[in-house]
Amino acid sequence: MTFEIDLGGRTRLVAVERAGAPGRFRVTLDGVTRVVDAQRFGAYGVSMLFGDDHDATTAVQIAPTALRGEMLAHLGGRAVPVSVNASRTRRSGGDAAGAAHGDHTVVAPMPGRVVRVLVAPGDEVAARQGLVVVEAMKMENELRSPRPGRVKDVLVAAGTSVEAGRVLVVVE
Amino acid sequence: MKVLIANRGEIAVRIIRACRELGLPTVAVYSDCDRDARHVRDADQAVHVGGGPATDSYLRIDRLLDAARRTGADAVHPGYGFLAENATFARACLDAGLTFIGPSPDVIAMMGSKTAAREAAIRAGVPVVPGSDRPFAADVPTDVIARDAERVGYPLVVKAVAGGGGKGMRQVDRAEDLPSAIRTARSEAGSAFGDSTIYLERRIVRPRHIEIQLLGDHHGTVLPFVERECSIQRRHQKVVEESPSLAVTPDLRERMANAAASVARSVGYTNAGTIEFLLAEDGAFYFLEMNTRLQVEHPVTEMVTSRDLVHWQIRIAQGEPLTIDPAQALTPQGHAIECRIYAEDPDQGFLPSPGLIRGVRAASGPGIRNDGGIAAGYTVPVFYDSMLAKLIAWAGTRVDAVARMTRALSEYEVLGIRTTIPFFLWLMQQPEFLEGRFDTTYLDALLASRNGQSFIALTKEEEDRIAIAAALNAWMQASAGGAPASAAGPVSAWKAAARREARQP
Repeated sequence: MTFEIDLGGRTRLVAVERAGAPGRFRVTLDGVTRVVDAQRFGAYGVSMLFGDDHDATTAVQIAPTALRGEMLAHLGGRAVPVSVNASRTRRSGGDAAGAAHGDHTVVAPMPGRVVRVLVAPGDEVAARQGLVVVEAMKMENELRSPRPGRVKDVLVAAGTSVEAGRVLVVVE
Repeated sequence: MKVLIANRGEIAVRIIRACRELGLPTVAVYSDCDRDARHVRDADQAVHVGGGPATDSYLRIDRLLDAARRTGADAVHPGYGFLAENATFARACLDAGLTFIGPSPDVIAMMGSKTAAREAAIRAGVPVVPGSDRPFAADVPTDVIARDAERVGYPLVVKAVAGGGGKGMRQVDRAEDLPSAIRTARSEAGSAFGDSTIYLERRIVRPRHIEIQLLGDHHGTVLPFVERECSIQRRHQKVVEESPSLAVTPDLRERMANAAASVARSVGYTNAGTIEFLLAEDGAFYFLEMNTRLQVEHPVTEMVTSRDLVHWQIRIAQGEPLTIDPAQALTPQGHAIECRIYAEDPDQGFLPSPGLIRGVRAASGPGIRNDGGIAAGYTVPVFYDSMLAKLIAWAGTRVDAVARMTRALSEYEVLGIRTTIPFFLWLMQQPEFLEGRFDTTYLDALLASRNGQSFIALTKEEEDRIAIAAALNAWMQASAGGAPASAAGPVSAWKAAARREARQP
């Protein structure tokens, strides 16, 4: 079985097949095949021994986040977003469609409350210019324009409670 | 004595532990979104006090007092934040016949006003940073404040009188930036503290933030402790604290401790408190403010002095005299470092990252202390401060403490949400941090210079192994008859967009 693994913005193809004994796998990545002894631990962990590297150990925990489809792989205190078969979904994502129209949506990266709206439709904005201030966890976070452009739409007002992912401002 | 803890999260858990060690029963309080929280399970009793927003629960004095009455609690520990420095709450506790584990309401009120605290320091003969003579209420026009700003001199800092933790605080380098700084400081202070009164203070260039922990009993003893070094700050919020400070000699330590103690004595201070100083490059130090409560970073002091500050808070409140040897309190044994682990994504400009915690692998082992308030299955709410836990490393030397902290951070995993752990792993490798060459401007400047580069450092081999683990994970899920991992759905477009934005310089 081959999996498309999207890791750090790069898609990797990983082929997995059983290698005889239970818990042993033949894994192929970038044309290199390795024998791995893999064991689950806890609800999210995979403990691996790499046969080609003197049974070097690596323990990774992979757990879903609050965002649909996103998982975080935890290794040695670091957490990296990872998704499986992501390349297929990316092609149908709304992201590419929006980019084609030259629009850029600025969304709430976390749930919170809009404290101030700093721009109005029609305003010219510079890259990194503040658009909206959202308060979450007692801090005010200024959300900035990712690029220079013109404000096409402002979809929230001061006082609006927003969920993560809510589109706040459209810059064209 | 039965103790009601008017707080939540890690500090509630910390106080419950101290009470249990002293044989005292505890009462926790919780809001709608905290029914699942760890402090609720750890306490002997727990009382619901309202809705998610703190103004509807943890800040509701009437409900907290009612909870104390209904459970028969006879003492209240306020922790830090929320009502910890609210004189009205302390007074209401006393009026209800409860012991308030903290200083007297009058002292809280006096030292809680930054301007009154400055006056107290001046009266005690301790130097203060030049600033406004009086606070500016919410209705004072900007041009009046601007005239005072000319007198104080630029660069300056606009500060909320009721402020703390960097909230309601803005730096201003030029006169034209003053009006917007006043506006944001007032707005933030208004929503965080319910008081948008501000004042101005000259900005000391490249200072260190050094603070002195104190205990005062009801028998006239005020005891200062070895300093804490809190200069590693992001946007005026402490993120790493340590004790002792590499910048403080035994002579300077004694002078700062004496200055702190004389301020505390002059106001009749009791219980735990902390005096914050700015230490200038030339070795001069200035009184900054007093925190009339237990500090977040109190564990580093505990680690190097082998004293339990929460035990002492309770014992002092019970009328016991301090029996700690003053010389020992000022003599650090080894070195301790604390990292504040937040539910924030360092790779997205430290945006809050609330959500369901799928699992916790907390660091432990020799010299490690984990003061946490989280557990698997808990959803980090959006309503409160995003601190999840404090990780403290102790060792005989600072070099060993850093190595121990690095080891512990690499063990620490909070599954399902992003945390600041990768940021600390990075920070523990920075040459200026390792050599102790930093001031309060260090971290913000360093972060700005990185242009949003990721904190997550992975070797090619590590990346390969994560990809393999993800594939094996998906294979095992599929073969176990569960839904294949690909059914989890697409990466949402907005999240991808948000991440791209964060990477833009």
